[in-house]
Amino acid sequence: MHGGGGPPLLELEGVSRYYGDEVRVHALSDVSLQIYAGDFLSITGPSGCGKSTMLGLLGCLDLPSSGTVRIGGQDVSALDDAGRSALRGDSIGFVFQQFHLIPYLTAVANVETALLYHGLKPGARRDRAVLALQQVGLGHRADHRPNQMSGGEQQRVAIARAIVTDPMMILADEPTGALDSANASHVLEVFRGLQSGQRAVVLVTHDLGVASTTSRQVSMRDGRIVGDESPAPVG
Amino acid sequence: MRSLGDLLGVAWAGFTSRRSRTVLIMLGPIVGVAAMVAAVGLTESAKGNLKQELAKLGTTLIVASAGTSFGQQNPTLPSNAVSRASAVSTVTGAAATAELSGVIALPDVGATNYYQAFPVPVQAADLNLPSVLQVPMTDGRWLDNADLADGARAAVLGSGLAQQYGYLQGEVRSISLNNVNYGVVGVLAPVALEPQLDNAVFVTETDAKNDFGTNGDPTTLYVRAANGTTQETANALPTAINLGGTQAVTTQVPSDALQASAQANKTLQRTALFAGILALAVGGLGIANVMSISVIQRSSEIGIRRAVGHTRSQIASQFLLEALFVGVIGGAIGAALGAAIVIATSKALGWVVVLAYSQMPLWIGLAVLVSAVAGLSPSIKAARLEPLETLRLT
Repeated sequence: MHGGGGPPLLELEGVSRYYGDEVRVHALSDVSLQIYAGDFLSITGPSGCGKSTMLGLLGCLDLPSSGTVRIGGQDVSALDDAGRSALRGDSIGFVFQQFHLIPYLTAVANVETALLYHGLKPGARRDRAVLALQQVGLGHRADHRPNQMSGGEQQRVAIARAIVTDPMMILADEPTGALDSANASHVLEVFRGLQSGQRAVVLVTHDLGVASTTSRQVSMRDGRIVGDESPAPVG
Repeated sequence: MRSLGDLLGVAWAGFTSRRSRTVLIMLGPIVGVAAMVAAVGLTESAKGNLKQELAKLGTTLIVASAGTSFGQQNPTLPSNAVSRASAVSTVTGAAATAELSGVIALPDVGATNYYQAFPVPVQAADLNLPSVLQVPMTDGRWLDNADLADGARAAVLGSGLAQQYGYLQGEVRSISLNNVNYGVVGVLAPVALEPQLDNAVFVTETDAKNDFGTNGDPTTLYVRAANGTTQETANALPTAINLGGTQAVTTQVPSDALQASAQANKTLQRTALFAGILALAVGGLGIANVMSISVIQRSSEIGIRRAVGHTRSQIASQFLLEALFVGVIGGAIGAALGAAIVIATSKALGWVVVLAYSQMPLWIGLAVLVSAVAGLSPSIKAARLEPLETLRLT
C-alpha cells in the first residue's frame, strides 16, 4: 500500500553506486525504489548496508555510478551543480542527526538559510522562517542561538529549516539519534505531522523502534533492498 | 540583484561571527596600509613647511645678472634689458635693479662707526619691483612716480635692514646715503627667494643718477615667467638680453634650491614602503592560513548550505567576500591609522601635515587585492567540499 496514486515523487531505477576505479567498492547494487506523495517511509539496516549512500542519492547530494535517479520526473544526472542545487533547495528538506545548525546564527537566521538566493525580500524571508518555527512550536525561540537551546529544540529548528521551503520530500538521517527518549518521541510526532498528500517523509535509521512508527518500511543489507513492507496501521 | 544582497548579508554574518579571529586576520592589512600611508606621509610632512613655502612663492621667478667678462670690473646689463626681456613671449613681468657701488648708508647723518662696519647694498630699483617679486610692503609704500621727480629723495628699506636700524612702524625716519638725507617711505617684506634684498636700501633711478652719478645700467634683472615655462624662459633670457652683445648674462632660478631641499627623503620613503608591502604580504599569508583552517572548522556549515540548495559558486563567493571584507575594512582602518600617525607626529614635531589622500584608494586597493588572492584558494576549497562527507550521514 504505497502512498497516493500518480507518478512517484522520487524514483531509483537500477541504481548502483561504487567507489574507486581499480578496486571497486560497491555501496549500492542495482537498487530500484519508488517514493510517492503521502509516503511516511523508513529505511533501516545495519551499519555499512548502504543507507548513507542511499540518502545521498535520494537527496541529490550524490550521483549514481549507473542507473537513473529521478526527482519529480527529472533525471538528476542530466543536471549540473547549479541545477541539482536548485532542485535540492526547492524539493528536498534535510534533517540530520547532528542538527548542523550554524552556530553563529540565531534560530530564525538558521531557518532563513534555506530561503536565501530565492529572490525573497529580507522581511518576507524572515516572516516565512518565523512561521516555520511556529509550526514546530519554537516561535518564541526565534532569536536564540543554537547554544542557548536544548538538543530537542535544536532538532526542531533543523526541522523548521527543512520545511520552510515547503519541499515535496523530507529526508531525515537518524533524526532522533542524538536525543533522549522524551525529546525523540516529540520529534517523531513532529515528523508524523509533516506527512501530507503532497509530501513524502523519509527517515533513515538503524533504530527499529523508530522504523516501526512509519507506514512503509524499507530494509537494506549489503547494498541491496531486502524488504519493502507496508504493515497495516496498529490500533 | 537580490541574490547579491543575500550574498553580502551571508558574507557579512560570517565576517562578524568570530570577532577575535577577524581582528587578528585584519592586522595584516591594517599594519601594511598604515605603514605605507605613514611612510609617505611622514617623509613628505618632514619637508611640509618648505613645500608650503614653495607653493606660496611659486617657482616662476628668474634672476638674470650680468656675468663678469674679461677686463670688466663692474659688469652691467644693457640699459634696455627690461624691454628686451619683456619681448620674450613667456615673460609676464620684469624689473631691474642697479647696485650702486661706493655709497655708504647710515641710519642718520653722523652715525657712529658701529654702523659703518655693516656694508649696506644700495640699489636703484624699478617701480614695479615688488610686483615682479610678488612681495608686499610691511610698512608704508614702495617708490612711485612722484618719487621720480628731481630731488624727491625717497628710500625703501629691506625688512632686515629696517630691523637692524630699529625702525619702528609708521615712524618718520630718514637715512643718510653718502651724507645725503633720504626720507624712508616704506619697508619691503622679506624676499624669501632673494634674501640679500632684505638688507638693501632701494632708491629711484633718478636719484641714483643725480646724487651718485650712475649711468643707470641695471646689474640684475628680476623676471617672472608664465606658469610651467620657467626653465625655457631662463634658457632664452641671456640671448634675449645681450642680443649678441659683449655682456655675458647668467640666469638662475632661486626656487630650484628650495625645491631640491623640499624633496622628501626618497630612500627612507622607499624603505618604509617596502616594509609596508612586506607587512601586507605576510598579512596575506595569515589570511590564507586562517581561512583555510576556518573552512575546515566550518565544514558542517558548508555542508548544510549545500544541502539547502546553495551552489558551489555561491559558497566560493561567500568565502571570497569574507576575505574581501578583511581587505576593505582592514585597509580603511590602516589608512585612518596611518593618517593619525602622520598628523600626531607632525603636531608633536611642528611639521606641516602633508597627506596624499589621492594615494589612499591605491593602498586600500592593494590590501583588497592581497586579501582576494589570499582568500581565493580557501574559497575554492570550501566550494569543493562534498556535502555528504561533511554532514557525515550514517
